[in-house]
Amino acid sequence: MKQHLLFALAATLLMQSAKAQKHPMPVTISIFNEATAIPFTRFITTPVHPGLQAGSGFTYKERNHMHLFQTFNIGYIFHSKLYHGFFVNTELGYDYKFNFGLNIKASAGIGYLHSFTTQKEYQFENGSYQSGRDKGNSRAIFSFGTGLGYRIQKNKLYSPEIFMMYQSWAEYPYSPGFIPLMTHANLQLGTKLFMHQKKDK
Amino acid sequence: MKQITSGLLLTILIFTSCRKEDNSNSPASYNCNFSFSDSSTANINNTKYNKLLTEITGSGVPGIVMSIYKPGDGLWLGASGKADLRNNVAMKPCHITRMGSTVKTFTAVTILKLKEEGKLQLDDMAAMYLPAWAMHNIANADKATIRQLLNHSSGIFNYIRNAQFQTASLNDLIKEWTPDELLAYARGKDPYFEPGTDTYYSNTGYVFLGMIIEKITGKPFWQVFQEKIFTPQGLTATSFAATNTVPANIVRGYVDFYSNLQVTDATYFSGWDYYTADGGLISNAYDMNIFMQRLFGGNIINAASLNEMLTTIAPKKIDTDFFPIQHGLGIFKISTPYGDAYMHSGDAIGYYATIAYFPATRTTIVWAVNGNYGKIDQFISSKKAMEKIFATVF
Repeated sequence: MKQHLLFALAATLLMQSAKAQKHPMPVTISIFNEATAIPFTRFITTPVHPGLQAGSGFTYKERNHMHLFQTFNIGYIFHSKLYHGFFVNTELGYDYKFNFGLNIKASAGIGYLHSFTTQKEYQFENGSYQSGRDKGNSRAIFSFGTGLGYRIQKNKLYSPEIFMMYQSWAEYPYSPGFIPLMTHANLQLGTKLFMHQKKDK
Repeated sequence: MKQITSGLLLTILIFTSCRKEDNSNSPASYNCNFSFSDSSTANINNTKYNKLLTEITGSGVPGIVMSIYKPGDGLWLGASGKADLRNNVAMKPCHITRMGSTVKTFTAVTILKLKEEGKLQLDDMAAMYLPAWAMHNIANADKATIRQLLNHSSGIFNYIRNAQFQTASLNDLIKEWTPDELLAYARGKDPYFEPGTDTYYSNTGYVFLGMIIEKITGKPFWQVFQEKIFTPQGLTATSFAATNTVPANIVRGYVDFYSNLQVTDATYFSGWDYYTADGGLISNAYDMNIFMQRLFGGNIINAASLNEMLTTIAPKKIDTDFFPIQHGLGIFKISTPYGDAYMHSGDAIGYYATIAYFPATRTTIVWAVNGNYGKIDQFISSKKAMEKIFATVF
């Protein structure tokens, strides 16, 4: 399943790359606090499980008040008692833009998470537990996000932007036969920049 | 932007660096011995019982302790597997471990002793003894009797069944939860049924029972356990977590979170049951066996109280994956191929235990393991696992 997911993601990204040559490439960088939680029940949670995400994306369609785009990201999550998680994902995003610089965001995505335990792991082999190399666990991840962004130079088409997203996501399979699916929520704070900016028309 | 990022990173550092636990026990810290001469090796069933334990640990359970008492055969104590995988410490029958919800039997016994002392009646309304803040917005809390809390017929929502609690406890695995924080997950939830019309397991009721003990005695309920049960019965290895949440000599607990028999240390992950009377018991297989023998021998509560305790009601919904079961006061009655048994089981994160008494043969069986969840549960707590243990004993 892992290989199929990675292939699907890679194919998506390649197709989008080809399509995106006419547009400047945004770079998004965000930090977030992950919580194992039922989505939309908690906003700020402790302890902090920090994460970092970087990505880029492509525009499907952009008008005065809307922006439909695709992102692709890589990231890292640290839950000190459970896991280090490395993920790749792609999201379909939609922004509704107001004239005063604010935009309302929604996104839906899929991805792949590979996690390694933060503690020593003991593997059951040949009738007993042995300390062994942690090969990690593979998951598919599905996300849905909402948030707000603010375009700092609101009159420019490719303005830098700061944003805050509340991203709900689920990992599957979590613990087969025990807990099939686990839900999470990320509170994300980030910025979007355009690295190779053309002169705005 | 730079300042904001720096501030966030500093906050992350503060929150992730202020909490620690000690996973570095030395092998010597697990040293223990019984104060009596253990004759288990001379027990006629010693080989058979040891083979059973070896099979259980050979299937993927990190470690197990077991005690079996049969009149005529005497008491057998055994262990298999590891108490500490990191330090390669072998499990010993005297090791202490977490007994989880088996504490509910102790909670019920304490309530019954208070009844014997004339300090409460089982059919008193629980609300007579509970503070208003505790019952606030918990359906049926104001309508249930103490007896209904004991036999799970109050209909009060079980806070552990709230998915928000389950995810919150995973989110903060070393949090030590207060009763109020746990009760919050039962507030605003629909009851399962009107009190007295059915029975459905509820930890919330036992949180209330701990509070009732405290209201009546003016002492922490775990101190009352000590005074009324642990000390008089000579249960020297038994304690409640609140007095020492993670004793240095407790066996390490392991959890198979991802159902792949790849376990990690969960010794510090059971903070949800340190301060409430629905969990938190620490003991060993010997003490628990003695407790059951004395309880059913009429040496802890009187015959009338024991009769109340063993008066059961059956849930309307039958769990076909388990033995036919009925609910008594802090105890269950199950129908097995080897006769009826009174029993209770308990989970803590990384630990599991069962205590069982078969009245027809006056046989007591206790087993406790230092691993659970995922694939491990099928070897320790499933009907099939119990049938295997019972078949070996009988």
